[in-house]
Amino acid sequence: MSAALEALLASRIYENGRALRRTTLRHTHLADPPLGIVMWRLGGERFRAAAVAWGPLGGPFRLAVAGEPRNRDLYFAALAPLAADLCARARRTAGLTVARQRGSRTEFIPADALQIVVPNQTTIAALGLLGRYLAYLSDRGGVTPDPTLIEAGKHLRFYTRHARVPGQSLIVPLDRLVSEHWATLLSPFEQANLAALDAQIEPPLGVHAFDASAAAEALARIGPEPTEDIDRVTDTLMAEFNAARGGNTTRPVVEPLIGPLRDHYRRLIEPVWELMGRVVAREQQLPAAPSVRRRFEGDREAFGRHTEWVTSGGRYRTTDTPRQAAMTLRRLEDAQARYEAERAVEDAAFMIPHLLSGDAVRGVVASVSEQRVQGRVNRVRRALIALDSDDPVILPVGKKLWWTATAGDHPWEVQAVHPHGASSRITLMLCAAPTPARLPTVDERITLSTLHTRPDAYRLPLPQDPPWTHQPVIPPPQPEPIDAGDAQTPPAAVDGTQVPDPGRYA
Amino acid sequence: MTHRMIQPGRASETALDRVRGQAPAMRPNVRRLAAFASVHTCPTAAVAFAARIDTNRVLVGTAAEMPYGQSPFAIGRGVAFENLLRRYGHAELRRVLTDGLGVDFSLAAIENLREGYQPNRTGLTLRASVTRNRMAEIVAAPPEPIVLDGAVLRADIGGLAAFFEADEMAIGVGGQIIVGENKSWPVVDGRPADEDALGAALDQAATYVLLGRRTLDQAGVDPGRISDNIVLVTPRNTGLTPVIHRQDVGSRVRRVERLLGAVPDMNDIAASIPPSVTFDRIADVTLPEEARLDAFGEVTETLGRVYEPASCLTSCGFAWACRRCIFAAGDPSIAGGLVARTLPGIVGLGRVAELGRGAPPSPAEAPAAVPVARAGRLYDEAMPASQAEERRPA
Repeated sequence: MSAALEALLASRIYENGRALRRTTLRHTHLADPPLGIVMWRLGGERFRAAAVAWGPLGGPFRLAVAGEPRNRDLYFAALAPLAADLCARARRTAGLTVARQRGSRTEFIPADALQIVVPNQTTIAALGLLGRYLAYLSDRGGVTPDPTLIEAGKHLRFYTRHARVPGQSLIVPLDRLVSEHWATLLSPFEQANLAALDAQIEPPLGVHAFDASAAAEALARIGPEPTEDIDRVTDTLMAEFNAARGGNTTRPVVEPLIGPLRDHYRRLIEPVWELMGRVVAREQQLPAAPSVRRRFEGDREAFGRHTEWVTSGGRYRTTDTPRQAAMTLRRLEDAQARYEAERAVEDAAFMIPHLLSGDAVRGVVASVSEQRVQGRVNRVRRALIALDSDDPVILPVGKKLWWTATAGDHPWEVQAVHPHGASSRITLMLCAAPTPARLPTVDERITLSTLHTRPDAYRLPLPQDPPWTHQPVIPPPQPEPIDAGDAQTPPAAVDGTQVPDPGRYA
Repeated sequence: MTHRMIQPGRASETALDRVRGQAPAMRPNVRRLAAFASVHTCPTAAVAFAARIDTNRVLVGTAAEMPYGQSPFAIGRGVAFENLLRRYGHAELRRVLTDGLGVDFSLAAIENLREGYQPNRTGLTLRASVTRNRMAEIVAAPPEPIVLDGAVLRADIGGLAAFFEADEMAIGVGGQIIVGENKSWPVVDGRPADEDALGAALDQAATYVLLGRRTLDQAGVDPGRISDNIVLVTPRNTGLTPVIHRQDVGSRVRRVERLLGAVPDMNDIAASIPPSVTFDRIADVTLPEEARLDAFGEVTETLGRVYEPASCLTSCGFAWACRRCIFAAGDPSIAGGLVARTLPGIVGLGRVAELGRGAPPSPAEAPAAVPVARAGRLYDEAMPASQAEERRPA
């Protein structure tokens, strides 16, 4: 992020009255159509999805409403269709594989992966908690839970954990996707509201982006955490529902009574569903960056490993061991560095912050020459270029820079920097034997930066038995069910005006 | 460690009452104090805090009214969790404290200060007195630990006396006092389900630690008797079964101390408020919306405002109204503090746009204008279509 660029974009949005694109390419894979999920929780109840809508985006959604989500029987009955559909889609998608050659080894990975799209990052966290709850259900009350619920819980947990991988496209929070692709007058806190973001991008005719987003922010309800006004209605409808069913949880009794609650949540979800479809359709119009394919292949691979593990009855730890945590952190950091590099190398708009910060230089090649220099053993051929930069630069001798056209190849090393009129002349030497593909031509305008997309060297895996310094006093607990509280009586809703200080329960 | 406890003078109180007018009043509590600490550099927020104005409700009925309520289910969960801890003679609270602190609380004296006292200033004063006396008993090393449920700490915030209600104070645990905070969000696999909520709870507990230490100091007792290790009592997993967590909040206590030290003196604020400033018209629901928002603009224009989206939008009920004013003025801080700090000497976003198109800067603008102009050139190079955007009046 460059403050100067942000200031410029803010000033232009202020002047023009609408958001501006940050990118020239789309850096996230978008399926056609992805599986959309919208969720509303009951206030304060982190594990209770009061309503879940799902389905291929762009079409109608299916809706699961439990009525009283704190009642285990009603909750599971409502979630069962979602679980069954999610499991079927995951298995079907993972079932179709393609061969991939890795050296002398042939491996099979899914030809596609089930992509989930949600309105915001908060929904991902909510799905993660729901997944944690479902993935390790106990046989409470002597009733074995529906296995598809458990499998769906494992899928949701996998998706939410995978969401941490920079550049992944398996689960796409649209607030982040839009914030990455568009500059708006919204702060990161305000960007969590997808309706406000969308209003800045396409404000009504004659309305400034600021006014449009302020209006959207005041009116739109995105979920998953309900506001007071929503749950006041829910409270009334739920009380009527619970009184009418009289403790009965059977489908013939519950189904005719649940209509008002279902209508309540349908009214909340319909505008969000339409908004998500519009946002995805708009971003799909942008051409995908070349590296999207590589990153999605990584997603497919992870998806294939996961479905294979889960369908064979595998379980995941709920707390990482120190070894797992260290390896995960390294994997995420590597993915972050590569994602940043790929975006900047492929998309001129993403290179701007690096050019402004001095991590990149752009200029015109004044000359290309070749000379022999002393290598480790023999004298070797090396190419030299003189680059006339657009702006004056300060670069230390010996600094390694990668030409964006060969960012996955060898770097160029700074040999000298001299003032050249109002700019600088930089002499760079290629750190490999010159080939035509590695050399720019005279008068070509090129960009070099510290970013490269070359995979790092093979790293040895960490030892299976970490040293005592990295062994916890208490080993991580085995995964356990967390549903013991399902047997407790749900707390009654309390009107905030009836307690002396409702803020104390925040 | 000594602290002043100055009551605001009569003149100051009158001035602040006049400023508040018919705007809804509020009683300070730790959450409001924490919220104010986030925006204490804003003169308007400081005046509103000094005049005890409930910023959430002043703009009710206007487009700038921010949502601030809480789900009745969330409140119900919180109430149910606290009732669970208290029922059967605080049996659950005794159990978790015994398990978590390694001291037997089964026979501990538990005083529920939330009952038996009037819900007004007199009641709070009495509860604060009981809390101070019980805390002072630490010197005598009571034979059994004491737990104060609903301890009240009296503190001086910018010269203004205020009462703060802590959930628990366990006194006499290994010669120390432990501050406890109850929260109804769950902990799963040893981790909170909501990390933001955890941070807010630890900040609250740190404030109680600091205020408790000041109370002990005034009573002539070693303030170090209050431990940095506080206790969080939360439900575990899906139900409400409580579980305890110890957490060191030492660094947060130091941060809260710095923030409270930065709170301006209320008498100074009262003396500096121009006579024309009042929130009366802003809160007057009989006036048209535009008139109320205009009145807000005039008040903040007179007092001054500091808009920082990250803190204002989460902590101040005036944030949306300030945002409107900031936007109308073309103030760069609409895009955040980082952007605003990048543009010293440049008066507004309109001028930034001109400089971004290559307009010659004035000497005062020059340092900030160079990177902006370069950013403009690079952006236009990357996105030539941007210049063709339809221009709309701001």
